Amino acid sequence: MKGTFAIFKALTKVWLRSKTGIFFSFLFPLMLLLTFGTVFGGGQAAKYQLYIQNFDLDDNGEPTELSKTLIKALNSTESFDIKNLDVEVNITEYMRAHPSFTSYRFLIIPKGFQQKAMNKTVSARVGVIIDTLLKIEEIYGKYMDGESRQRVKEGREALSAWRNKTLTAEEAEILLLTEEGDTSAPTIKGIVYSVINALNNALVGAEEIVSVTSKPIVEKLLTAADYYLPGYIAAFIMTNGIIGVTSNVAEYRRNGVVKRLAATPLPKSSWILGNILQQTALAFLLTLIMLAVGWFVFGIRSLPDVYALLLIFIGAVTFCSIGMFLGGVIRDVEAAYGAGNAIAFPMMFLSGSFWPIEIMPNYLQTVAKLLPLYYFHDGLRKAMMLRIPQHTITSFIILGALAALFTVLAVKVTRWKELD
Amino acid sequence: MWEKVIEVEGLVKCYGKLVAVNGVSFECYRGEIFSLIGPNGAGKTTTVEILECLRRPTSGSARVLGFDVVGGEREIKKRIGVMPQNFNAFERLTVKENVELLAKIYGVKADIKGLLERMGLWDVRGRRYYTLSGGMKRRVGICMALVSDPEILFLDEPTTGLDPQARRECWEVIRDARRMGKTVFLTTHYMDEVENLSDRASIMIKGKIVATDEVATLIAKYGGGVKVAVKGGKEVEDLLTRFTNNVYRDGFGNIIGVFNSKLEASRALTALYQYSDKCAAEMILPSLEEAFLRLAGGRIDERGELV
Repeated sequence: MKGTFAIFKALTKVWLRSKTGIFFSFLFPLMLLLTFGTVFGGGQAAKYQLYIQNFDLDDNGEPTELSKTLIKALNSTESFDIKNLDVEVNITEYMRAHPSFTSYRFLIIPKGFQQKAMNKTVSARVGVIIDTLLKIEEIYGKYMDGESRQRVKEGREALSAWRNKTLTAEEAEILLLTEEGDTSAPTIKGIVYSVINALNNALVGAEEIVSVTSKPIVEKLLTAADYYLPGYIAAFIMTNGIIGVTSNVAEYRRNGVVKRLAATPLPKSSWILGNILQQTALAFLLTLIMLAVGWFVFGIRSLPDVYALLLIFIGAVTFCSIGMFLGGVIRDVEAAYGAGNAIAFPMMFLSGSFWPIEIMPNYLQTVAKLLPLYYFHDGLRKAMMLRIPQHTITSFIILGALAALFTVLAVKVTRWKELD
Repeated sequence: MWEKVIEVEGLVKCYGKLVAVNGVSFECYRGEIFSLIGPNGAGKTTTVEILECLRRPTSGSARVLGFDVVGGEREIKKRIGVMPQNFNAFERLTVKENVELLAKIYGVKADIKGLLERMGLWDVRGRRYYTLSGGMKRRVGICMALVSDPEILFLDEPTTGLDPQARRECWEVIRDARRMGKTVFLTTHYMDEVENLSDRASIMIKGKIVATDEVATLIAKYGGGVKVAVKGGKEVEDLLTRFTNNVYRDGFGNIIGVFNSKLEASRALTALYQYSDKCAAEMILPSLEEAFLRLAGGRIDERGELV
């Protein structure tokens, strides 16, 4: 036990004096937290950029009333950041002249939009009157006297003739152009359709029958940092184990430190335990620093409870033992470092520790659920952010089993004899 | 009186098909400096690592301080100090921290200050290991091996790769360890190291020990006679022949006369100087190098290869 503690202390000192160690274990995750927390933590939902080109102008070159109403309605959804394009602008040339990382979306209101809409409205309303008169003839005709019936019929026929002669039933169209691969396109289409629907209803004078009220679900306000924090803590405990421990263990074997220790009475288990202890301490220190910065900078509210702390401990053991196992199996230092990176980075991104896995394609979600990191950040998020520790049981079972399995494997592959 | 602290009997170690140590037997006594000398690949490190309980013997037996290396690992490791080949400590720990770490692992209260002072490392105690010179690193290694006050000190090639000055400093430290009452077991491929430090030595070639004895005895037995080397012509050769029958020319234009004693050689040398004071004659004493050449059929070069 004395030996274990001596190793723990030595490894901790070594780590504290390593600039790259400090950078990748603390500064890098902090930088990510600060960046992502700020970028996505603006407080309000992002707006979609929408360019509108309105060709429906009156004789003075002013937008028609209806087109103005449409644009106003789109604006009032607060979903769009609307930019107006002049009618002279050629869309293709505009896109070429202004390359952009965000996708372009154009809404084009053609000339005659108001006229067509009005015609169609009158036509629709007249249609309703004609239909109503027809119904009156059918249902109440037998109770009317001949003269009245004749008048209604004549009126209806006159109205019908007028409509057919003067009103075109052509629909007013607007054109929504989106880029291929624009993942927001369906959302934008949905918003535009709903605005158009409301406009249609208003034009024909239909009353709103069903209405929607919206409110935030959670009472307390969670910030973006609240969401990112557990993911970063989990991801960097994972990289510290799989990249850091793997390469350190391989390097200590190569440079002879392991041999030096093996020649003392120090048992092999103390070496492994010393490493695990150091990683655990590192994990708690990382958590503490991330929480402190999160609290000061973003005012996060997701503080770890006892379940979260226990999960952090088990996670640190899991990934440290995986690192000890890899470092024991891979004889070459460079190869060990490469393998650590090759495992840790895809795992970091695929497991969805940085974003909700729901935004990933279905097959990738399946992949994510095969990775141990998924259960770590998922459990940590449920415990810290959502406060539903009863849902972390899967994480505890899976990480606990992996920790046990890899600790046994690490003991098996770490050699204390026949070192080279 | 001569207490055996290491007893090796018919030791064999195979790595797959390769036989690294092939039936080796020798003994070491308490308080001596014992050298295992041989070229690279002779099996020195394998042998010493079996004694340090870092490798399992394939067959044969080895006992250290009365404990078998198979089964007695814990007892042996508590009582020995080790500096492995290509030794390294924790690079970002200081000299003192590295030595303290070892004391903690052994669970001993050591006079670390006294030890560091004795090894000339007290002034650099706060320097990180990686900033030290090669010679200092080895001295730190010897300190780490000594901190637990072991009975036997195993040093695997302690001066390989050091410059002459650093090697001499290292030798001083090793002599000092002996003065502290330690038995020192060292492996090396430097003949002068053995001649300067060792009481006894084993010569190891290709997994086998070809001779074990006191260094002086090895030289006397296998080092060849006392030689007089001189450059010159027929007259000089004739002059030498008057003192010994064993006269030959080596490949470098030297005439060599071999004598049974230094007295006989010095008489011939005097005669040569009487003949001409300018003649470049010199006496060559038998050496371990010569003994090794005879026993191994080759020399060891700077890098430790047999040539």
